[in-house]
Amino acid sequence: MKIGAIAGITFKEAKRDRILYLLFFFAALGIAASRVLAILTVGDRVKIIKDVGLASIAVFGVLMAILIGTGLVYKEIDKKTIFTLLAKPLHRAEFILGKFLGLVLTLFVMTSAMTLIFLAIVYAHTLKIEAGLLIAIAYIFLELVLITAVAIFFSSFSTPILSSLFALAFYLIGHLSWGLELIIKKMPPGTGRTLVRALYLVLPDLENFNFKTEVVHALPIPPGIYLSSFLYGVCYTAFILGLAVLVFRRRDFI
Amino acid sequence: MADAIRIENLRKTFRLGFIPKPREILKGITFNVREGETFGYLGPNGAGKTTTIKCLLGLIHPDAGTISIFGRPHSSPRSREPLGFLPENPYFYDYLTAREFLAFTAELFGLGRGERDKRIARLLKLVGLERAADLPLRKYSRGMLQRAGLAQALINDPKLVVLDEPLGGMDPLGRKEIRDIIVRFKDEGKTVFFTSHILQDIEMICDRVAIIVGGRIVKEGGLRDLISEKVLFTEVTVSGLPPQTFEGLGESVSTRGDRVLLKVYDEACVDEVVALVHDRKGRLIALSPRTETLEDIFVDTVTRT
Amino acid sequence: MKTPLFSTRPESPRAKGSATVLLVVFLLAAAAGFAALKAATDKVVRAKLPGASIIYIPSGKFLRYATFGYRALAADLIYLWAIQYYSTPTIDDRFDHLDHVFAIINELDPRYQDPYEVGALIAVQEARDVRAAFAILDRGAANNPDQWVYPFNAGHVALMTLKDYPVAEKYFEQTMKIPGAPEFVERLRANAIFRKGDLKTSWETWLDIFQRAPDERTKRIASNHLYNVKATIDAVALEDAAAKYRERFGRLPADLGTLVRTGFLREVPKDLDGKDYLYDPATGKVRTAISPWRR
Repeated sequence: MKIGAIAGITFKEAKRDRILYLLFFFAALGIAASRVLAILTVGDRVKIIKDVGLASIAVFGVLMAILIGTGLVYKEIDKKTIFTLLAKPLHRAEFILGKFLGLVLTLFVMTSAMTLIFLAIVYAHTLKIEAGLLIAIAYIFLELVLITAVAIFFSSFSTPILSSLFALAFYLIGHLSWGLELIIKKMPPGTGRTLVRALYLVLPDLENFNFKTEVVHALPIPPGIYLSSFLYGVCYTAFILGLAVLVFRRRDFI
Repeated sequence: MADAIRIENLRKTFRLGFIPKPREILKGITFNVREGETFGYLGPNGAGKTTTIKCLLGLIHPDAGTISIFGRPHSSPRSREPLGFLPENPYFYDYLTAREFLAFTAELFGLGRGERDKRIARLLKLVGLERAADLPLRKYSRGMLQRAGLAQALINDPKLVVLDEPLGGMDPLGRKEIRDIIVRFKDEGKTVFFTSHILQDIEMICDRVAIIVGGRIVKEGGLRDLISEKVLFTEVTVSGLPPQTFEGLGESVSTRGDRVLLKVYDEACVDEVVALVHDRKGRLIALSPRTETLEDIFVDTVTRT
Repeated sequence: MKTPLFSTRPESPRAKGSATVLLVVFLLAAAAGFAALKAATDKVVRAKLPGASIIYIPSGKFLRYATFGYRALAADLIYLWAIQYYSTPTIDDRFDHLDHVFAIINELDPRYQDPYEVGALIAVQEARDVRAAFAILDRGAANNPDQWVYPFNAGHVALMTLKDYPVAEKYFEQTMKIPGAPEFVERLRANAIFRKGDLKTSWETWLDIFQRAPDERTKRIASNHLYNVKATIDAVALEDAAAKYRERFGRLPADLGTLVRTGFLREVPKDLDGKDYLYDPATGKVRTAISPWRR
């Protein structure tokens, strides 16, 4: 299948990128360093290890998604390999989706590798593997998938540096959604508040995928949120990809 | 015979730069390429040749006009199923080997595994890349890349082959090889559409040509129709006789050693020159009638527009 | 001879247009979808500890290096968060690490004045944690030795809330040393000395203030306080003598003159204005004829 073929070569290309391994190295370093940090704390050592480990996977995963994703489409256009590719009987949407899936596959491999190291260290300290940690990582991965779609979207019309900045801005906005919620609470009812509320619903809320705090503190997670967060991620990713296809279809490749 | 390519009133204006300044590149292109023929698309640099091809392939969206490929509207990706394209400079994924690249291309056409491997083997042999098939493309020379490009253009056994400057930058031996391959396409019944600067080659292999200048088609037609069979002059190379011998009969172009090159405009004078050489015991080295070439027409057309 | 599968009149513009319309419809549907899902997800109550992880950062010193030169900005942001955090009544245990949070802000930007005052305010009014208030204000004073408000506020807290007069005196003394401190601080100190019970020093202090008074108003205030101190000293002496009288004779004296006649007192003191004190033979208590503040 054509999307699969493009995903395949994207994966081949992405896994050659040295940035991937550099970031993986730092992630592994971070996770390992948590063990050292644990010695400095008073009280629950394992908490620090879990905190730092999950944070490393999340942060470095996002960096991987952004740094590689923003170059994916741009490189094809810049190196003109896209000419021969789009001269084939291929929908432009298939191209975008293929690139997206290829990068998601790459991130899946890297996340799994980081997870293995992380779980190994946690196991060394607790002699058990908690399902909660895996759930937290699964939703971190969902967040990475969304960020990948965003990176590819920007890459379809902008240079890698600008795309990285935009994608980073998306990430930050996504984690500050609660700030907007606070502002809405303090606003008097009226058109202003309705507009801000519309903005609040449309802007991304990446905290929906953040179960790190609950998992580490062993707080209960209400079961309804699993499905709604998952569907939210899927819907938003589909939206971003749709936007990317819309923009990419209209492009002229001079 | 149906039309392999039918282009009507194609227009495209580019708006480039920070403050968009419109530049009209294609000002209403109309021509067609019949199935089975070899069609040459010529024009000076910047005339719009590559833009036309990119519109054909769906890389650029025309502002107006229609394009169809074997009757299918060009906007549908399926219209490119019977099409093979070789770009001007080969740009391929340099981390793939030729074999992997061809396998990927085959997948894009939906070819099954068995058929895929057969064709790849055949094509690698055809373009002479069998031994280098498993080297990554970044290790290829330009000539090798050109061959790989040709292979990927043929992976789907296309009915229409589109080539953008296929002969540019190649040595005479390479050019001959490509010319031979194009002629073979013609024998196989394929339609060939290509652009080139090297007019002698076009003259050799094309059935029809179109000349595009400044975004407009200024001449279109069969090669035989455009080029008259009229002899412009005859070049005669003689040795053993001084140039003055031929005063009044022809123009002495150059002298090297005892060889003289003459340009004789009048057919009757040619016979006289030959007789003179025979009488004076000179030696006739060469005699070539020079007919109107495509180059003459091209230069004439471009300078007139 | 191939016959075209489609009519040779191409229909490309319409086909392309419909694909775009489909795409736009899909986008709107997806957007509606995720907006609705977000609203639904918001409704789910999660055990949130907004920003609680800040408790686990060792100290502001660590953050100072981690913020890459944006210490002041980091201080601003954390302070903004803190305001929201401490005004959220649903977080029951929000005051547990009050000093720690403000310590971080103060260490990041020692010259950011608002957090010291506001932190102390929250500590006193809402958290009822006077120790934390002192810690914050002491830091403010240490980091900003030119700002008199910090020891002044601390003295105020000691005086009014804690009612710890020696501590109040110490803070007011500290305040007085800072150039620009208001002139009434020395009077607050003097009052604190009076309240802590050191009447002799209190008299001397008020006398000093009286003698240095730059205007009539200050003179009058000091004079009233002097009157009050003297009245207190005299009342103590008189009541003490009356109590001794009762020990001896089993009942309180009828008037103050009796104490002199019976030798318990050398003389009957007059108030600062030379007027008599009022003595209540039923209770043995002495008070002034007029209020010290309405002379």
